Order: sequence, then C-alpha cells, then structure tokens
Amino acid sequence: MLMTAHPGITLLIGISGLLALAAAFWPQKGLLARIARGRLNTQRVLLEDALKFFFDCEYKNISCRLNSIAGSLHISADSATRLLSRLRSMGLIQLQEDSFRLTDAGRSYALRIIRVHRIWERYLADETSIGQMEWHGEADLKEHHLSLEAADQLAAQMGNPVFDPHGDPIPSARGELPAYTGQPLSALKEGDIARIIHIEDEPRAIYAQIVALGLYPGMQVYVMDITEERIQFAANGEECVLAPFFAANITVEKLSAREPIQQKAELLSSLKAGESATIKGLSANCRGQQRRRLMDLGIVPGAQITASFRSASGDPVAYRVLGTTIAIRKSQADNIFIERSDAKP
Amino acid sequence: MEQQHDKNSENILSLANNLRWDLGVNLHDAVVESIYEDASRIARKTVSSKGNKAAYNLERKIDQLVTSRWLGFPIMLLMLALVFWLTIAGANVPSGLLAALLLDTVHPALKSFAAAAGLPWWLDGVLIDGAYLAMAWVVAVMLPPMAIFFPLFTLLEDLGYLPRVAFNMDSLYRKAGAHGKQALTMSMGFGCNAAGVIAARVIDSPRERLIAIITNNFSLCNGRWPTQILIATIFIGGAAPAHWAGLVSAGAVVGIAVLGIGFSLAVSWALSRSVLKGEASAFSLELPPYRPPRIWQTLYTSLIDRTIFVLWRAIVFAIPAGVVIWLVANVHIGGQSLAEYFIRWADPIALLFGLNGVIFLAYIIAIPANEIVIPTVLMLTVVSAGLSGVGAGAGVMFELDSIGATEEVLRAGGWTLLTGVNLMLFSLLHNPCSTTIYTIYKETNSLKWTLVSTFLPIVLGLAICFFVTQLWLLTA
Repeated sequence: MLMTAHPGITLLIGISGLLALAAAFWPQKGLLARIARGRLNTQRVLLEDALKFFFDCEYKNISCRLNSIAGSLHISADSATRLLSRLRSMGLIQLQEDSFRLTDAGRSYALRIIRVHRIWERYLADETSIGQMEWHGEADLKEHHLSLEAADQLAAQMGNPVFDPHGDPIPSARGELPAYTGQPLSALKEGDIARIIHIEDEPRAIYAQIVALGLYPGMQVYVMDITEERIQFAANGEECVLAPFFAANITVEKLSAREPIQQKAELLSSLKAGESATIKGLSANCRGQQRRRLMDLGIVPGAQITASFRSASGDPVAYRVLGTTIAIRKSQADNIFIERSDAKP
Repeated sequence: MEQQHDKNSENILSLANNLRWDLGVNLHDAVVESIYEDASRIARKTVSSKGNKAAYNLERKIDQLVTSRWLGFPIMLLMLALVFWLTIAGANVPSGLLAALLLDTVHPALKSFAAAAGLPWWLDGVLIDGAYLAMAWVVAVMLPPMAIFFPLFTLLEDLGYLPRVAFNMDSLYRKAGAHGKQALTMSMGFGCNAAGVIAARVIDSPRERLIAIITNNFSLCNGRWPTQILIATIFIGGAAPAHWAGLVSAGAVVGIAVLGIGFSLAVSWALSRSVLKGEASAFSLELPPYRPPRIWQTLYTSLIDRTIFVLWRAIVFAIPAGVVIWLVANVHIGGQSLAEYFIRWADPIALLFGLNGVIFLAYIIAIPANEIVIPTVLMLTVVSAGLSGVGAGAGVMFELDSIGATEEVLRAGGWTLLTGVNLMLFSLLHNPCSTTIYTIYKETNSLKWTLVSTFLPIVLGLAICFFVTQLWLLTA
C-alpha cells in the first residue's frame, strides 16, 4: 500500500520525519533538551541560588537588598519576598538591621553549593572541552544535583584543586574559605601593578567581552591611565581599554612595585622554519589535559625550541624540543610564549 | 588518645589545604617546571651525546620531501595505492587456493563423511552447511588480504612514514574536529574496520579517538569491495554503453569509497560539534625518527596482533551466524520457511528504500562478516524466488563463477538498476559487522558509544537510500 503511493507524497513524509527527529533531538534547542532543562527549575534550586547570592554579598561585604535578590534570580519582587520568608522560617537567614544575613546553618549550606559549583567548573575546564563561556551555566545546573560526596570524589580525582578556573577559591570540604583580599580593577590608581585573581562570570555579556580581550586569572596588569570614562591598562604587555563598569567585574590583587613587569611575549606560532627560541610560558587559556600533555612533551619555561618544518598543508608545524620532533597546531602555538634566541642557527 | 590523634591529623590536613590557597593557581606548572630543571641539570652533568649529524641531516631532507607542499600528497597517494594494489593482486591466488581447499574439497568430503556416518539431515545441515561453511567462507576471503595488508601497513608505521601522513593530513581533520591520525585509522579501515578501530588507540585525545572509532565504518573495508565491484559491474556497467562499461563501473566503486571518506569527515564534523562537544581533547603528534623496519618483528606482531586476532573474532561470530543462516532457510512453519516469512513481510518496507526483503534479511543474518552478504543474498534469492537448478540447496551459501549467472539470479529476484545503486549505498552505510561492533565495545568500554556506532550508519544509510529511491521514482 505504501509503495504504491506517489513518490512525491512519500518524499514529503520522509522530509517531515527528518524534521521531526531534528526537532526532538537537536542539541540544546531540541524538545528533549528543553524538557531536561525544564525539569530542573524547582523551588529548591531557587532557594539554593538565593543562599549562594547571600553568601557572595557577605564575602564581598556588600549589603544585600530585596531588589538585588529579585534581580539576580530573575524573579519578581513578590516571589522574592515569599522566598525570603521561606528561608527565614527554615532558619537559614535572619534580618539584621535592615539587611539580611546568613545564619550559620545557611552559611554552611551555601558553602556546600559553592563547593560543588566550583569543583564542577574546574572539572569542565580541565577534563572536558566545553568552552569557557559555558562553564558557569553548566555548573549552575549541576550544583543542585551533584551530591557533596560525588563532588568530593571528583575533586580527589583531580588532585583536590583549590581554585576554580575563574580564580575563585574552592571552599574546603570543612567549609573554609580564605579571606577576601581582592579589589576591583576599577579601584586601582595610575601606575599600580596588580595580578588578576578573579573574573566575574556574570552577567554573561560582560564576561564575554572580558574573555574576548584575552584576560585570565594570573595575568599581570599595569594601569596606564584611569579616568571616569575608561581605564587603560597593559595586560602581559598588551594594551587594553575597558569602561570602569566593565573593569569592576575583574578582581585584582595589588602587587608591590618590585615585581617585574611582564613584557609582551612573542608567540611560538610566529617562529619561522629554522628559527630557535626559548619558551617563556604557557597561556592560561591552554588548560587541563592539553596543558599537561604539552608540558609532558617538554614545553616548559626555559626549554629551547626550534621550528623544523611545516606540514604539506601549512598547519601543524613540526618543532624540535628536547631532542624529539613534535607537531603543534597553530591554535596551540598561539598559547605558547617565547623569547627569540639571539644567535640564529 | 586515638581521638586526639585523629583530631590532630585532621587539623594538619586542613592547614595544608589552607596553605595551598596562598600558593596560587600556578602550582602544578611550577612543580613540572622544577622537575624539568632538575632533570636537565642532572643530564648536563652526566650525559654526553656524540650525535650523528649526518643521519639527522638525512632525516631532515626526507622530512622536507615527504611533507613538501607539492610532493607531500602525491607521495602519500602513491604509497597508499601501492599498498592496496599489492593487497588485491597478492590476495587473489591464496584466496582461490583456500576456497578450493575449504569450500570445494573439505566441504564435500565432510558431507560424504556425514552421509556415511548416517548423521540425520538436519544435524548435517546445521553443522556442515551452516556453521562450517560460514566459518570456511570467512577464513578463505578474509585471511589472505589481511595477511598482506596489515604487515605492509605495519612496515610503513615502523619506518616512521605514517606519522608524517597524519602530520600532512591534520589540517583537513582539524577542520572536521578530528585528529590527523584519523587518516591512519581510516586507511586501516579500508583493510578492516575492526583493525581500524583498534588502531584508533594511537590517538591519545579521548574525544578525537571516539570520533575515529565511530566513523571508521565509513571506510569501505576489504569485505565490501568485492560486493561493490560485483554489483557495479552487473548493474552500473550494464547500464552504460559496452565499451565504457569497465570504466563506468570502476568509477562507481571509487565514487562509493570517496563518498565514504566524505561521510567520515562530515560525521566527524557533526559529532565533534554535537554529542561529543564536551569530551576532553588534547592534540599531540610526535614525529619519531626514521628507522629501518624490523621485518620479522613486524611480520610477527601484525600477524598475531592484527590478522589472527581479527580473524578469530570473525570466526567466533561466523559459526553461530552460519547456524542461523541455515535454520532460517530450513525451518518451515505452515509450508513456508522462516526466511520466506520475513522476506514477504519486509518486502513492502524495503521497497520504500529501493532494496528488498532478501537484502534486509541478508544484512541481518550475515552480520559476522560483510564477505558473506552476497553468498547469503544469492541463497535467499533462490529460496524465495523458487529458482531451480541454481545453488546448492536451502541454507547453503554459494557464489557463482560467472558474473552473467549471478546477474540472472539477481534479476530473477526482481533487482533493477535502482536496487543495485541502493545496495552499493547501503553496503557503505550500514551497521559495522559483529566483529567490529564487539571490538568497538572492547575499545570504548561503553555501551552507549557502541550503540551509536552501530545505529548511526544504519539510520544514515536508510535515509540516503530512501531519498535516492523516491527522487529516482519521482523523476523516472
């Protein structure tokens, strides 16, 4: 019966079948992905997010108001009020003067969530190739579902990391955190030298712009000029300009003026066949397995490296390091800093 | 006392943890750096190297030649073509000898022995026509090409040439989200997909390795080349003018192989951007120095590790499949064999995809090896179309000596040019053989990825056949 149908009709049925499959299984936007996400939005998630927000305010000594809670959780002021009264009745927060403070129980609950969140971010950064724009969102979902024991196990597998990839300290299993030492980049003065210790991953648009500038925790910055409208600074020798509003999302730790200012380093990818150089370092954008692999192959600061020959298609390039020849793709060589040797072979 | 002790150690651990915060984010780097520093200081003091400048210079010369812009790819294609030619030309004679021995001599001998021993007909059928014949067939057609292809391939690997191929091909594979070494596993797949899957071990980045494993099936393996050549000669060559027939059918087979490469790149691209997006990835490719190959060791390892290993897995699967093949053609319910029931039922569905019920059944029961698909198709066609005077009886796989006779059987089974084209497409795009599926499971240790590698090509193949058929019918 089917085979006697006009081929035009069977074709249409076939195409709509394909479209239906795509609509159901498409990653991120498909029906299944949506259903999976929708199931996560429960009351408990909201509650835990609120606790996290309170903790963040407390950690950074900002007073915490109803409006800011509603804003950060994307809920109405009414829902926020209901949420707060629920948190109070559970004994997780209390009203002190005119701002809310966490109780001890609330603080340890919040620390548990933060620990899971940051461990998961560390895991995504080191053990997967999920892009850095997606770490925070993924961890925001995972933090409510991964048990503390599972997170502890994961942390142990990764060698108990103490910082998340944004530079935030991961609370220890006993709920300890180091004191907050940073200040926003926007608070520096002209001529200050500092190290980026944290880049706030929310709001997303601002984070995306900071990432696009190539800034990362561990980078040295030197403030060249600061006005009401803009802050001009050198990061690893590269000049950057940000609005103070944006710069406030970067936390820095002031360094004494004695620390040497890092010069702008050349990249390994700029080396031509036959040229040699000394490796100065690896960018923090090269992380996890990839970083370990490169270091295992001898790409460590101080090592001598020579560009040997290009592949037939131009990329990758073969480099000679420690007496062996290894091929490195351009995208990797862009993350390796070098200093050219004076004597050319 | 004990408790006090616990308390203390806990305090020390927590203090240690807190101190790590002060060490900053770059601790791991600093440790690796200092290890290298120490190691190189020790090496400078104790190791002296004479260094063979001439050998190194020669190596550089060869490297510059095989990776040069203009000669790199032609040299590579030449080497591959040579390996394939040696395999095909060299396998013909031993394959013929093995077939003459196992199929034409031992099989009849076993039959007459069974008859003399008074074995019941069904036991004789299951054991000799089913299990033995399937196993013998697999050995005869699989062993010689593998025994030639794998040592040659291993020699090139040992010589140090294959890493340079990966180096040259990497930019193409990088764009598809894969590793340059996938060029090697893909070439290996042209010999045998199971071996190609095992070869993916050379890719140390987890994501790229999975991609190489899942897409290896798109390399037209040794077991599928004869099918492609046979069908192309009969249907595509047959549709072309006589003096072009040879060229057109050869072109069609090469076209299918190239299509397979295209699919392997396209599917790699899609996988690396969808389901495998999050899997860890770490590119690294060492280019070892050239060295004279160790011939005996190579022969031994490639014969034991690759040929015998794969062949053994194929035999293990072929025996039960042979039993099933015999049974479906010989177990009757209400005057019809199981095979006929299935073929009648599947025919209308299969026709939507431009195939037929016989092909569906053959691809299901001949899962142990692609080599026995055509013998199974012929046997099932004879059974279902009720042809007489062809073949060796229900459940006994056979092949015909002349292409003309094969064509007669297939046309009697209702095959057209469209069926031929679709069979060629489906032969490229269907599930891997059971040996490969099992190997994928062993290599990935994951049921999920095994299922993906099994069903992804089938879905793709059915979709392609469906659209080809319906568009064909629309324009015809």
